Amino acid sequence: MFKVNLKKTWNNFTIKVDFEIPLGKVTALFGHSGAGKSSILRIISGLEIADEGMISDGKELWYDSTKQIHLPVQRRSIGFVFQDPSLFPHLTVEKNILYGVKGKRSLNEIKDLISLAGLSGYERFYPAQLSGGQKQRVTLIRALVRRPDLLLLDEPFSALDWEARRQLQEDLKRIIKQLNVTTLYVTHDITEVYKLADKVVVLESGKVLRHGTPEDIFMGKRLSTRIQIVGKVVGIESDSIMAAVTIMHEDQYFKALVDAEEIERLNLVVGDDVVIGAKSSDVIIFKVLTQF
Amino acid sequence: MNFAAPLLLSLKLSLVTTILLFIVGIPFGYWLVFSRIRWKFIIESIISLPLVLPPTVLGFYLLLVIGGNGIIGRWYDTIFNKTLAFSFEGLVLGSCLYSLPFAVQPFQASFAAVDRKLIEASWSLGRSKLYTFIRIILPLSRHGIITGCVLSFAHTMGEFGVVLMIGGNIPGVTRVASVAIYDEVQSLNYGTANICAAILLLFSFAVLAVVYFVNRRFIRTL
Repeated sequence: MFKVNLKKTWNNFTIKVDFEIPLGKVTALFGHSGAGKSSILRIISGLEIADEGMISDGKELWYDSTKQIHLPVQRRSIGFVFQDPSLFPHLTVEKNILYGVKGKRSLNEIKDLISLAGLSGYERFYPAQLSGGQKQRVTLIRALVRRPDLLLLDEPFSALDWEARRQLQEDLKRIIKQLNVTTLYVTHDITEVYKLADKVVVLESGKVLRHGTPEDIFMGKRLSTRIQIVGKVVGIESDSIMAAVTIMHEDQYFKALVDAEEIERLNLVVGDDVVIGAKSSDVIIFKVLTQF
Repeated sequence: MNFAAPLLLSLKLSLVTTILLFIVGIPFGYWLVFSRIRWKFIIESIISLPLVLPPTVLGFYLLLVIGGNGIIGRWYDTIFNKTLAFSFEGLVLGSCLYSLPFAVQPFQASFAAVDRKLIEASWSLGRSKLYTFIRIILPLSRHGIITGCVLSFAHTMGEFGVVLMIGGNIPGVTRVASVAIYDEVQSLNYGTANICAAILLLFSFAVLAVVYFVNRRFIRTL
């Protein structure tokens, strides 16, 4: 279990957080822009130093202000994927991937990783010849090939178009699960949290607001719904009694009829992230007949 | 007049100066970009002085320092048993100082232009600062490094004031191409001066053109 307890103050902004990152799981650091998510990632990686606190991987202290310990970034077993692809433009895909590999590593293992990311055949390409999605895949594999104890992902898909993002989310989920790597994932996209995270830490103005499973955090345990669709509100039509809320989930639209009062209570507007939930008792299922 | 000897001396001086400035300027440029020392601006100002200072002023103070009674001059005399002023080594020292900003500033600018994310990515992949510098920063700064070397070379080729102040006009030792042209003009040999000047002009243009052409090719391959 990674333990993160840190405090850092800039001119008029303070980050003060205390949370844990379970081993082999994906933890999402969720919050709006300016909540301090990326800064926390940078401090954990060692690219920035906290004013006080402690960061531990469970075995070794990476940072401890009281003991004056600060492991430089090079000595922390991390893989860092930044918001924009940070591939070295003068190196081929293969050389980028092998950049951080020290000592011998079996060719088969590296080939497997390249294949896992769907990059077979691109080994001799230069970053400028790749699409945005492919670049981020290379960045991800480059980070993973070192077998890091902690994978840090800073909104890695934010610069991609919707289709590439969706594909990469699937790939990332598959790769992370297959390699069983402990991951801390920064995002402000609630759909991504649902799709990828086992645990979510909600940040606001540099403080941890809540943490738990995505269901606990975003829906509340009381609902215990069986059907959940996460998406963005793209339309609200309402009269005095009922409202039809259209949400977009991936590339599909869903419409839910709810009480108009509920829309007012939630102060729901177009652009909000929402979860539509339904209890199992409310759900009907039937098989479509193909022969009559 | 035989113009080959002064031209060869200018070439030798430019080459030695460029090599030395490359060796000294690269770590210096790196330090200026990445050091967080507050008084860095003072060092930057000192380096840039030759850009604004009349060469005779720089030459005069250099002469005081490297002359027989100067600190460096006396020290050099004790160790090597010869004077530093009015020698080729003295010219090299003067040229290095005079061309320092022409090397360091392009190096510095190109190092600063390397995307910080790439440097941090290299560190996060477990690579040291030195390894990152050699494998990432240097290759991505090729343009600035070539520019700095070319400017140093060309600037030293055309050097006159400092050379004359600290080197004088000793044939085969300190009479470089620009001083030789000056000599010819003083002797009213405009024809010879014209030929010498034209050779220097064409040579300088050819060197710059070739290097900038190669530089463009480098950039395209990135």
